[in-house]
Amino acid sequence: MTDLGFIALVLAFVISLYGIAVSLIGARRNLPELVASGRNAIYVVSGLVAIAALLMWRALLTSEFQLEFVYSHTERNLPTLYKFSALWGGQAGSLLFWTLLACILATSATWFFRQQQPSQKPYINSVLLLYIGFFLSLLLFAENPFSRLWRSATGEVITGVFPPTGATAIVPSDGQGLNPQLQNYWMVLHPIGLYLGFVGMTVPFAFAVAALITGQLGNAWIKMIRKWTLVPWLFLSIGILLGSQWAYIELGWGGYWAWDPVENASFLPWLTGTAFIHSIMIQERRGMLKVWNMVLIWLTWELTLIGTFLTRSGVVQSVHSFALSAVGPMFAAFIIATMLGFLALLIWRLPLLKSENQLDAVLSRETSFLTQNVVFVVIMAATFLGTIFPSISELVMGDKVSLNAPYFNRVNGPIFLALLVLMGAAPLLAWRRSAPETLRKNFLAPIIAALVSVPLLFALGNRSVAGFVGIAALFFVFAGIVQEYVRGVRARRQATHETLPVALANLVRRNGRRYGGYIVHVSILLIALGIIGNEFYQSEGQANLAPGESVTVANYTLTYRTLDAVRGPNYTEFRAVMDVARNGRPLGQIIPTKNVYNKNSEQPMTEVGLRPGPIEDVYVVLAGFDNMGATASFKVYVNPLMSWMWAGSLLLIVGVLVSAWPRRSPATAEAARRVPSGAQPIA
Amino acid sequence: MRSRLLLHVVILAVFGLLMTTSAALAQTPTPNEINDVARELWCPLCNGVRLDNCDLQACIQMREVISEKLTEGESKGQIKAYFVAQYGDVVLGQPSGEGFNLIAWVFPILAAVIGLGWLAYLVLTWRKRQVAPVSAGPDAPADATQPAADDDYLRRVERDLKQRD
Amino acid sequence: MTPNDPTPTPTRRPPVFAIVLGIGVLFIGGLLAMMLIKPPQKALCDEPAPDLALTLFDDYNGGWSSETLTLADLRGQGVVLNFWASWCKPCEEEAAALEAAWRKYKDQGIVFVGVDYLDQDPAAKRYLEKFDISYPNGPDLASKISKRYTIRGVPETFFINPQGEIVGCRKIGPLGANELAQRIAEIMP
Repeated sequence: MTDLGFIALVLAFVISLYGIAVSLIGARRNLPELVASGRNAIYVVSGLVAIAALLMWRALLTSEFQLEFVYSHTERNLPTLYKFSALWGGQAGSLLFWTLLACILATSATWFFRQQQPSQKPYINSVLLLYIGFFLSLLLFAENPFSRLWRSATGEVITGVFPPTGATAIVPSDGQGLNPQLQNYWMVLHPIGLYLGFVGMTVPFAFAVAALITGQLGNAWIKMIRKWTLVPWLFLSIGILLGSQWAYIELGWGGYWAWDPVENASFLPWLTGTAFIHSIMIQERRGMLKVWNMVLIWLTWELTLIGTFLTRSGVVQSVHSFALSAVGPMFAAFIIATMLGFLALLIWRLPLLKSENQLDAVLSRETSFLTQNVVFVVIMAATFLGTIFPSISELVMGDKVSLNAPYFNRVNGPIFLALLVLMGAAPLLAWRRSAPETLRKNFLAPIIAALVSVPLLFALGNRSVAGFVGIAALFFVFAGIVQEYVRGVRARRQATHETLPVALANLVRRNGRRYGGYIVHVSILLIALGIIGNEFYQSEGQANLAPGESVTVANYTLTYRTLDAVRGPNYTEFRAVMDVARNGRPLGQIIPTKNVYNKNSEQPMTEVGLRPGPIEDVYVVLAGFDNMGATASFKVYVNPLMSWMWAGSLLLIVGVLVSAWPRRSPATAEAARRVPSGAQPIA
Repeated sequence: MRSRLLLHVVILAVFGLLMTTSAALAQTPTPNEINDVARELWCPLCNGVRLDNCDLQACIQMREVISEKLTEGESKGQIKAYFVAQYGDVVLGQPSGEGFNLIAWVFPILAAVIGLGWLAYLVLTWRKRQVAPVSAGPDAPADATQPAADDDYLRRVERDLKQRD
Repeated sequence: MTPNDPTPTPTRRPPVFAIVLGIGVLFIGGLLAMMLIKPPQKALCDEPAPDLALTLFDDYNGGWSSETLTLADLRGQGVVLNFWASWCKPCEEEAAALEAAWRKYKDQGIVFVGVDYLDQDPAAKRYLEKFDISYPNGPDLASKISKRYTIRGVPETFFINPQGEIVGCRKIGPLGANELAQRIAEIMP
């Protein structure tokens, strides 16, 4: 039964090749039937991949240990949720999951755009099928999730889909279990977000390729893919933030981001993707930066692949890295081929990508967006270099250096600060040019806010210079956004005499793109607030305690009471119970734990004892214990403002949804009828 | 319950989770003093794990050495230098600013300079070409004497109102 | 479709940025390829052993007269070069066998050399004491020797003949007494 999954993958691979061929022939010979057949290939391939994935899930849930993947990533006692999520807990399975998501995305994009852009369709479909086909080839030729365990005639254990001659099947009675680090709710969700973000970038990329091939390089494709870029961007952001949340509560070092190669791999496309969703606004409004936008979406898409290559080929070592495998050379070949292919297309179409407008003034929205774009790309380049530098230095010098958080913080910290300030300044600059009077008017309140923050912080007891600078930047940006809202509401109320809440609601509803964007900016501020709090104001302490003894960190006193052992389904939980008091006032209990998994007892997992709060989190790690808890070692962190990071994450979702929500207002419908495509609307 | 707990304590002891030689630590530096040094060092066997957060046996041993050296009155700088001699630059977590590794520090600065230089070049050349008439888009009349931002709002609000009617 | 697009004007000179992008693409492509094909580990099978200079632990010089031991000094003797660490569990499995073999063969022209990888003196000495190890041992400062021998983990063992050549390939993982005796026979002077 499960072998059907393998057959489905083979068929899917063949059909995706067929789909590419007929799409391209159909486009060249102008045969709509062939193009339609190419489109249907996407649906068929998706169906087949779905069958393969469902069969894999079935195998995981029913513990078919004769499958090598099931054997090495699950066990009988694994909770059902983790049996389900084990699909993305290992190389082969996660590639299958990736392919499945790519198919879901390709299918929905094909269906969504079924009425539009007939001339570009075959090329879009080809790119989507090429992407899916590449992943299918990985599954078939490098990492097959359906390969089984066999014992060869000579007694060796081998894996393969088909039994070698003389081999007998092995059916282990139990599996090796899932990596304990992945047995966590956040870790179940985190890869889904990331993968959706990664595969999602293929849709705008496919549109870009199609626009280049057909030479229809106006703003039409940019308009169509705006939402199809925003949504993957949202997923990527959520994926990154979920990963941070996981690191925060599971890794037990008081932080949320370690600049680990795998983290960086997800961050790189996020950076260029963020630049892209901003710079397409300039193309939409002013017909500028056409080449730049092509380059950005190209970079973003390639970076999703390069990041995956780096972490899956075993080239860069990381906590999350997969073992060395044949996936590496295939990824490298695909990346190099697509990079050269796109570059050739771009150079070929360069004459058609002339800017329609020029820059009118140095102090304008356009310039600030451009600067922001450049800054994003600089951060990307620096982070990319930092990620691969250990490998380069090993290659060149034969000696591996390590680049860890201090390096990245020192390099990227100041650039991020500049970015924050730009984020505040850009909306205050007018399109085309800003008159000096406007400048003064727009910048006055934000600058005052930034200045006011300094004595305010001083009064609150802050003495950290970095803290002053960071918080002042936050005040500056926030005041700018509030000012934008106030002006918008005031303008509406003057014109319509609506009440304040109605005016606000209408303002946001009518201009969701703009005001949703500002909500996203506020969410970034909240995330930055959490980062500043954790980075500059964290307190920590470690102590070895006997029951009844206590440790004090910042204003908190934690008293160690008992150590209990509780049996879980496939692990034993060691729970240290502690009483927390703030300035002597009891606040309740906090229970840091250590989980020892039956299958992985050498890798005990930390579960942080967390008492979150709006001002600060109390965060306790059970570092070790002795003699059944006669003494135990605790690491205590007080992390100010961390909750705002998670609040910001939620607000980010709200902001993107407001910004991307479909609006079928009479205004746009009418405008669509009147204005020829290619013209530039105002908003 | 107790016996099971004991079993796991044995497992934990084997794999080095236990605090090391607590007797030796009794009169020696506190965990906080050790962490103060360990915080500036990185586990040479791991990737991106700071020494004070590392549960590996090798890291526990390194912290033990820090403790001994602190007891002997060595300074943080001396201890760090000792570990660099033992393990090389890996323990510092960032490349030293010399030789080939200088690239890691120079490149970001270079990237920023090139990026901003290119930006300045673009902005200036685009400005120079401004003799050509600006194409008349729907938002063409951008008058430098008018407060553009407010204008923007009012125009949009007016448009909204018109379309509602 | 796009009335605003200017008609293409043929330009002869490829624009600067296209060249820059091309170079970037080639650079990244070359880098990916290089990372993949770089020799991950030197084979070091049946070839001259890289030289090494090992500073010995104070009390574990194995009767060696000077503070530093080099491979060149050991020409004419068979060398069992063992990489280990005190935090390494599999190393403990072979420790007793190694010591027993050393005691058995030391008068037959065989030298054991222990290289302590990424380790700390007190723990290392406790380990040596625990297994009563008496052959020369020393810390691998800044992992210089380990890098030269491209070891991937501990334990790893090399068998070097009296001419200073590695015989066979490296042994990855703990050695049993039988295998040890067999490999030592190949390097006996």
